[in-house]
Order: sequence, then C-alpha cells, then structure tokens
Amino acid sequence: MFLLWYIPLLLLAILLAVLVRGRAYKVHPWFFAYAAFGVAADVVRFLTERNISVYRVTYWATETAYWLLGIMVMYEILQRALGNLVRTGWGRLVFPSILLIGLGLSLARAQAVPSALNGYRHYIVVGAIAVRFSEVLIFAGLATLVPILGLRWRQYSFGIATGFGVYGTVSLLATTKFSDFGTRFKFLWDVTQIVSYSIAVLIWIWFFSAPEQNETPGSRLSAPSPSVLEEYKNAMRRMR
Amino acid sequence: MFSLIFTWLIIAWGTLACIYMLRCAWTRFPRRDLDDVVHFLHPVDLSLAESLLDPTADFELRWHSTPRAYREATRRRMRLYLELVRRMSHNSRVLIEYGNAIMRRECPNEDQPTDTHDNPRAALASDLQHAAISVRLYALLVVVRLRLRLWFPLDAVGALPALQLAHLRIAGDVDGPKTYHELKTAAEAAFVQFQPADLPVLTRNL
Repeated sequence: MFLLWYIPLLLLAILLAVLVRGRAYKVHPWFFAYAAFGVAADVVRFLTERNISVYRVTYWATETAYWLLGIMVMYEILQRALGNLVRTGWGRLVFPSILLIGLGLSLARAQAVPSALNGYRHYIVVGAIAVRFSEVLIFAGLATLVPILGLRWRQYSFGIATGFGVYGTVSLLATTKFSDFGTRFKFLWDVTQIVSYSIAVLIWIWFFSAPEQNETPGSRLSAPSPSVLEEYKNAMRRMR
Repeated sequence: MFSLIFTWLIIAWGTLACIYMLRCAWTRFPRRDLDDVVHFLHPVDLSLAESLLDPTADFELRWHSTPRAYREATRRRMRLYLELVRRMSHNSRVLIEYGNAIMRRECPNEDQPTDTHDNPRAALASDLQHAAISVRLYALLVVVRLRLRLWFPLDAVGALPALQLAHLRIAGDVDGPKTYHELKTAAEAAFVQFQPADLPVLTRNL
C-alpha cells in the first residue's frame, strides 16, 4: 500500500521527462507547469510527512496550487482546441460559464453533504470539487465535439482533457458515492483516487509520447484540425 | 436535489466521453487514406431530394389524401429525407478529412496562417472544406428537426401542424441541395487536380 502512494510521483516524473523531451512547454506551458509542480509538490510532501503540522500546511497549500493550476490548464486546453473561438463573442463566455457551473454544483453539494472539515480547508475542498466538475465538463464537451464537428482527437489538448476527464469523473463518482456510505470507505476512496490519477498520468504520457504533427504521416487521413473550427465560425457568421 | 441530478448527469456524460475516447483509441479511426476516399462515400440522389422538397408535390399529396394518409406519407418522406441528409453529412465528413489531408500536405506548418491565394492547390482543398462544412451544418440542423418530429409525432394528436418537407430546404440560411451540389463541384475540382483516375467513381458515389 505504501508503494501505491508513490506510483503517481514516479509516473509524473516520467511525464515530465516526456514533456521536456518533446518540448511540450512551448505548446502547453501551463500543463508543463502543472506536471513540474506535481513532481515538486509530491517530493515536498514526502519530505515533510514525518512532521505532521508542517505536512498539513504543505498538503493544503499544494492542494490549492493544484486546483489553481488545473484551472489555467483547462483554459489553455480550450484555447488550443477551439482556437480563436474562446476570444470572440459568445466563445468568451464558455470558460467562465463552465467554472461558474462547477462552483455552483460544488457549493450545492457542500450544502447538501456537511463536511467534517472547517475553515479554510472546507473552501479548498469546495474549490477542488468545482475544478473537478469543470474538468469533466470540458472533457465531455470536447469529446462530444469530436463526432459532431469531426475534430481530430489525437492531439495534445484532447489528451490533457482526457486525463483530467477520467480522473475528474472517477473522483466525482467516488466522492458522490462514498459520501453516501460514510467514512468507513476512506481507504477505498484513497485507492480509487490514486489509481484514477495514475491512469490519467498514463494517458498524458501516451498522448505526449508521439509528436502531434506526425500523427498522420503520408497519405493517412485524419479528421479536421482545430483550425477548421475557424471555418465553422465563418459559416455560422454567414448564417446570421 | 437538482444539484445531485446535475452531478449524476455530469458523471454519466463524463463516463460516456471516457468510453468514446477509449473507442477512438482502440479503433484509431479513421482508417481511410487518400487512395480509397471514393469508396467510403454513399451515393446521394439529389433529384430525389429535390422531389421530396418540392412544395407542389407536397400540396398535391395533401390534396389527394386523407389527413391520416397524408401524415403517414409525410413520415415516410421524412425518413427518406433523413437518410439522404445523413448520407450528405457522412460524405461531407469524409471530404473534410480529405481536404484536411491535402491541406496538411500542401501547408505542412498547420499553426501558421495560410494564404491559400498563393497556393491554388491549397485553395482547392479550402473550397472543398468550406462547402463540406456548410453541408455538415445544414445536416446537423435538419437531422435534429427531423429526429424530433419522428420521435415526437405531435402532429398526430393535432398539437403541431404536419411538417412540410419544403420548409427543410433551407436551414440556418444554408440551402441544402444547392450547397451539396457546390460540394460535389468542389470535390470534382479537387479530384481533377489530385486524383483524376478516381473522378468517375467520385461522380458516381457522391
């Protein structure tokens, strides 16, 4: 069990190496920052775990930084996947709307299920769940756009969204379901979180291990790239 | 209560999206390449589409049938037109992929804005994509309307008037048959340039 705790750290270190090798920090700087922070935060947590009071502060501080970085990564994904759509007209409202929905649902959940935590820790958990909702919404939205608009799914943005989506979905499911059962299932909840996060990191490693441009070599066909969305936007403008 | 329902809906949506992405990764579609595009196209009978959208034919049918028979005939015609529109949508998707592959070949650096005026070959692919996207948007709007009307036949209980197919000619300012014809022209122009040998099959299958 002790080893299971450190699998995500190992996988995050591999992911960081893959990102550096593929120079992904140029394309997805916020995601790179997220992965680098993930490694650093896990190392610091490991180093401080013998001192409970320091560990507690470190844990909650890194948790807050995690979800703040998560928000930035989500914005980066939308910007990359939808191109200029997120900067114009209604597209500008997409990201704040998703965040607001996530926050609203998280607050409603906090109201319905009283938390054992209090003070700032309660708000950190509310923020973290809001980010999970946003991650799942963005992932599910993008995945829905693949068959509808014919977007190319094998691209870094979708890879990042898929990782967050898988982790977010399992995390929300576990949080919602286990909260019905009570604290007896905390161990199972922890294991579910670690396994789903490890799967998410494996997905990121898989997506980033192949260069984005060489995915369709030669005469191989692929669905449209995000740049084609611009064409959709123009077509929609003509319709109005 | 509502938040719980929304939470479960989001979880279900996320799970479905996970399953879909898994399927994408498993099948690694599309498995077409430039040489066999034409064999993935489904023939669309535009003259049949025109006859279904003809308001005179609709009026004549209404005139010569009982309301019940007219409703049944309209539903049959709606299903037929739905099939045609689905084929249009499928073909436009295949051609978007084709145009995309050509664009990638002609303009390898995708992140740079491309001026297609400098590259007539890329301009052909761009025209093809434009037309295909218009057809796809048209198909999206029409399929939703037709599916809703087929799932909820409110006209049978008199809650809504029967759908006149002629009203489906234009959806979102796109004239369906006309735009599909433009798509055919753009595809033929692209095939003349890139794959002249496949042109007869394209004409037959599109």
